[in-house]
Amino acid sequence: MSGLREIAEAMGLSAVPAAPGEVIVECAEEEFSAAAGGLAERAFLSDLFATATDDGHRLTAVFSTVGDPGWLRLQARLAGETYSAVTPAVHAASWYEREIAEVFGLIPHGHPALLPVRLHGGETAKLGRRRRSRAGMESIEELNETAPIQGQGVFQLPLGPVRSGPQESAHFLFTSGGEDLVMVRPWLGYKHRAVEEMAIGRQADSALILAERLAGTSTFANGLAFAQAVERAGEVSVSDDAWRARALLGEMERLHSHLASLAKVADSTGLTVAAAQYNLLREEALQSCAALTGHRYLRGILAIGGLAGPVAAGGLRELSGSVVRWRRRARGLEELLEGTATFVDRLETTAILASEYAHEHYLVGPVGRASGVDRDARRDHPYAGYSGLGLQVLAKSQGDALARVRVLLFEVGQALSLVEQLLSAELGEGVAAQPSLKAGSALGWAEAPGGETLHLVDLDGSGRISRWRARPPAAVNWHVYSRACASGNNLTDYPVIEASFALSVAEFDR
Amino acid sequence: MVQLDASLLTPELAIAAAGVCPTDAITVTGDRTEGSLTFDAGQCVMCARCVRAAPTAFRLVSEPDVAVRSPDSLLTWVGWKGGKADRSGRPADLEPAQAPQPVEEARRLVDELHVRAMRIFSRSLHIRHVDAGSCNGCEAELQMLATPRYDLARLGLFFTPTPRHADCLLVTGIVTQQMEAALVETYEAMPNPKMVVAAGVCALGGGCFAGSPRRTRSLDRILPVDVYVPGCPPTPLALLHGLLLATGRAEERYRAGGTRL
Repeated sequence: MSGLREIAEAMGLSAVPAAPGEVIVECAEEEFSAAAGGLAERAFLSDLFATATDDGHRLTAVFSTVGDPGWLRLQARLAGETYSAVTPAVHAASWYEREIAEVFGLIPHGHPALLPVRLHGGETAKLGRRRRSRAGMESIEELNETAPIQGQGVFQLPLGPVRSGPQESAHFLFTSGGEDLVMVRPWLGYKHRAVEEMAIGRQADSALILAERLAGTSTFANGLAFAQAVERAGEVSVSDDAWRARALLGEMERLHSHLASLAKVADSTGLTVAAAQYNLLREEALQSCAALTGHRYLRGILAIGGLAGPVAAGGLRELSGSVVRWRRRARGLEELLEGTATFVDRLETTAILASEYAHEHYLVGPVGRASGVDRDARRDHPYAGYSGLGLQVLAKSQGDALARVRVLLFEVGQALSLVEQLLSAELGEGVAAQPSLKAGSALGWAEAPGGETLHLVDLDGSGRISRWRARPPAAVNWHVYSRACASGNNLTDYPVIEASFALSVAEFDR
Repeated sequence: MVQLDASLLTPELAIAAAGVCPTDAITVTGDRTEGSLTFDAGQCVMCARCVRAAPTAFRLVSEPDVAVRSPDSLLTWVGWKGGKADRSGRPADLEPAQAPQPVEEARRLVDELHVRAMRIFSRSLHIRHVDAGSCNGCEAELQMLATPRYDLARLGLFFTPTPRHADCLLVTGIVTQQMEAALVETYEAMPNPKMVVAAGVCALGGGCFAGSPRRTRSLDRILPVDVYVPGCPPTPLALLHGLLLATGRAEERYRAGGTRL
């Protein structure tokens, strides 16, 4: 693939100056859909959102490709409250446009199913000022009655929002004929906290607290993507040492998060011993995180411009011993799992997500990579001290639960190897105070455990946030969940399916 | 968990710490010559910025026994005047009760009776967890409770899928508009006697999401909370302390004013 600037120029779109590594293309309101559709054929649609401006709204679509480390932002000024929808041409835009309608009250004209995504009452929240039902937005109850699935012996089984164990709140409506899983309709949004909205008007370092609490198991990655967006927008330089330390901590997060996902998969197949072993490893990883930074989930160590303090020397010493042990144990567990026929049989061909469908939705992370979408922000958009470390990315084509688990297993090994290599590098000290920030707008990104997380931050002249858009991996990957569930599975496969996807509800609900 | 050592706090450190606190956990009134600081561990998100701005006075500690029965026990108040510690402006509700009034005495007796009644669960407690709007950090730590390192079953504590079998409702997260109804229904479906444990600062004071437009009310205005477990997220050991405290099997460490019992 050629670079993003060439793609834009080939389409007759001209770029305007932007932050380094970004190409911004402004177009007229009526050209937006066609331009976005054209770009989506040649590049990945990474995000689509609106921003309230003084004189209306601005629509932004973000594109990226493999082979160009930059990003392309297609922007259009919107004077009215409707625009021509992108969804008819690009199905992956559907949930983004529903969110735009829900949050800003903008109606994407021609959207085939303008339903709520997070607000169940059918209301739209105009960032701060909520408005009641608008034409075209239905409530969750009305929606469940539309398009009923009928057939002999077909019944519906609601699950949630209060789940069976200590899990996140989400609602799933199963349609089953007794054995086969005909349809699963996830309803999210129960946990919607309006995290992005709360950041408006705050100083960047105060908003970083919110970014770190967007989702617990991807604390560091989302904090890092946010901090990077602020640093790029405010023109703050970060030392190579600090970037290496950030890479190390990012890999520690991937490690503990993937170990938790593997424990859940083992548990869902009834392998309680394997689950216990993975959880023991995870606990050790969390304790190591606490020894490195003072917090089990790495909160409070990030700062705008670097790290808030040095990574603890004692923790690093301990970690260099632990990594060797963890690697041996992880490899042993992997061999045991791969040698357990009941485990492999249970996962093989379960919840197949076709590669073509995954590509159409521009999936990210292990879920995408297991279905052949070979994307990894660490490799495609180099952002931290990963250069020269021999980072490998595994993509598989099967798209079943087994492929997803094998990607996770591979990435646990990769994370351990990267941690080991980074341990011998210079990691640097913390930064004293928040550097002064210039006004600007930029993207920031990181490869979270669940996949690429992409944040956009607009800063005003006093270093305050005027717009923060977070697009964590779960916001992309939940879109295909229903389809994977309906690929010829049994009702009893469901726990395996959910565990193999390991999608975060907190990330989606925000 | 961040801890304040009041004896090491100077007005300069107090003002520096309050300046960096991103939530309302540390608030200062007055100035260097005369003023006071209030530290509310129930609002502390453990970002450790105060630890860096005012070392010695604020420290990161990993003590497990941080759960309390009253949110007041998570408050620490320090006053100063003319360069010396001064207790004259101390809020009355942070003072240990001297001669309780009849109404307060009756309330105290009711509370004590309730605490004693909860000891019927000291051998076996079935817990129903509800995520009322969390970041999933609290759930990640709750899931660790069922793993070999912590193994809550050995203490007679069990997670149960149904509220009908539950004795204890464990709530995490701010209560969002779309979770309040499900939370209340779950509580109402539980048989009496029952208890409520609030885990994590979101469920206590709201932490950094206290001002979220999607938050309805503070949890203890919706349900009667028995035990409060601070932390962002609370560690598995802190959660175990909270559950054991709720069943009368562990002692409280702090009382009003943040002093050790």
